[in-house]
Amino acid sequence: MVVYAGGNIGVALSSLFLDPITSSSGIQQVFVLFVMFYTMALGVGLALKAGLWNIGAQGQFLAGMVMVFVVYLYLGFMPWPLLYVAMILGAALGGLLWIAVPTLLRVKFGANEIVVTILLNVVAINFGFYMLSGPIKSPGTALGFPITTELPARFQIPNIISSIPITYAVPATIAIGIILYFLVERTPFRIKANTVGESSETARYAGISIPRVMTITMLTAGALAGLAGATYMMGYRYELDIGSFSTNYGLLAIIVALVGRKHMLGIGVAAFFFAYITFGAQSMAVATNVNSVVVFAMEGVMMVGILLGNYLSERKKIA
Amino acid sequence: MTVNYSDVAIAVISTTLTLSPFYLFAGMGEIVSEKSGVANMGLEGIMLMSLVTTFIVDAVTGNPWIALLAAIGIAGVFGVVFGFFALRVRLDQIALGLAVYLFGLGFSLILYDVAFSSGSAPNYVSLPPIFSGWGTVPVIGIILLKQNILVYLSIVLVVLTALFLNRTSLGLRVRAVGENPKAADNMGVSVNKVRFLAIMFGAVMFGVAGSYFAGNFVPGFETNIIAGRGFIVLAMIYFANWKPYRVLFAALSFNIVYALQNEYISISGSSVASVSTLYNMLPYIFLLVLIPVFGRKARAPKFLLKPYRKG
Repeated sequence: MVVYAGGNIGVALSSLFLDPITSSSGIQQVFVLFVMFYTMALGVGLALKAGLWNIGAQGQFLAGMVMVFVVYLYLGFMPWPLLYVAMILGAALGGLLWIAVPTLLRVKFGANEIVVTILLNVVAINFGFYMLSGPIKSPGTALGFPITTELPARFQIPNIISSIPITYAVPATIAIGIILYFLVERTPFRIKANTVGESSETARYAGISIPRVMTITMLTAGALAGLAGATYMMGYRYELDIGSFSTNYGLLAIIVALVGRKHMLGIGVAAFFFAYITFGAQSMAVATNVNSVVVFAMEGVMMVGILLGNYLSERKKIA
Repeated sequence: MTVNYSDVAIAVISTTLTLSPFYLFAGMGEIVSEKSGVANMGLEGIMLMSLVTTFIVDAVTGNPWIALLAAIGIAGVFGVVFGFFALRVRLDQIALGLAVYLFGLGFSLILYDVAFSSGSAPNYVSLPPIFSGWGTVPVIGIILLKQNILVYLSIVLVVLTALFLNRTSLGLRVRAVGENPKAADNMGVSVNKVRFLAIMFGAVMFGVAGSYFAGNFVPGFETNIIAGRGFIVLAMIYFANWKPYRVLFAALSFNIVYALQNEYISISGSSVASVSTLYNMLPYIFLLVLIPVFGRKARAPKFLLKPYRKG
């Protein structure tokens, strides 16, 4: 595919494997992707433990990105440190509200959460367009290409060491992962969630409140995806335009959660692997003049490959 | 400003009829597949591939019918691949579906870029209307006669799918392997064979739907051009409780809401983009509101998403 498009294999391979670690922008983007994949996949994995599919991380992520600017523009009267925190919490709240709809429909009406979260992804894009072309649009921008104002430096997430483009979002995300690991894998909640996920009958016998477990896991998942929106905007992009809508990171997070086998720490390893390969594929596409959407195609193939590998290794164990 | 309401009504009906086949072909394909216990969530990726194939083959051969066949062919290839991984390897169907979607999303644009690299755009319009020259006849001509044959076939397909599922023995077997594969197996039904046929029927229908999208929705091609409309089909089926006629109802009502807001925007002449994007959300909100109302009694095939292991 790459060769066909006129590229050179050597260049392609070196940009796939070496660019992520040799260039400054490579290191930056790998960690940006890592933070987003890890945050969103934690939520997806958490919901999966309770047997719920959150296909809507992309929509919650979008709601989070929008909320960053809603808070920034409409609560601008707040003093700096407060507003900074409010923007992050606002993003989490945006994601939480976005998943509250499928959660409510699931818990109260038994509506399938897969279908509703998918539907809300489409709504989120339209909602994002609306917000972007009106309420949070920068007044100076040209018609037809709406964009928000750029967040000033004091509202950006700073680098840990100023010369290396790794922000505080990275240790913060890992901390969230570790906290969730202890909360989810090391407490009775794990058994509760797993029981709900595997058999609602058993859960009912055991006196576990199914709606409660479902609500907690789903809302946490939404808040995490919203949070990813905050780190993406405040830690990397600083302004929102239509380009950020079609990223599909929320769908990739589902793959990351599955590859990490729903384990709160395993997901972190999977997230890093996917971040590395995603950036590598992007820079390979650039080096060989292929449209960078080739990344999606590669990830699709890779995902089947990984699942196939999982399957084969499990079969060996049985045999 | 005076509004000619009969013109509006004609435009709304015409738009509804033009857009519905996409949802109907995809919907019938997905229903049969899901009835057998296999959800193909990669449908949008498959449709993107057949959409691009339509453009490319039409540009090469100049024949939209060959383009349609090629689109069906490429969708069939995806059906075989999907069937292999879902049935033989028993991969998680949701993960597999998303993988197929991502693959189609990326690879369709690569194909398009390679095929139309010199900046030339495909000049594919759509299949010709069956009654050419009648398109200017008032009311009937504009609403019915200017449509192409796939519009009529899509309605026929709904009837045939309902008959197939409820009145034929193969249809019974499709439902059986989705409801109780163990029992079906004991009765001598080859579960995976029936499921494979159902998947292939679905894939072929996605091929037709993807090909129909070209020229009837958004002109030209860009990344993610189907923009979630394939995923909407999954919501329609859920709302319709896996019943073909209700999918027809869902598709028509969804498109009427779409056409109404579309007409409203063009009549009100609102150039404020922010307002029109708000109206664009209406059809989806409409579906969303219907789901708790009608989806309450929805009952998925019992073994949907569950691979079957013999013995």
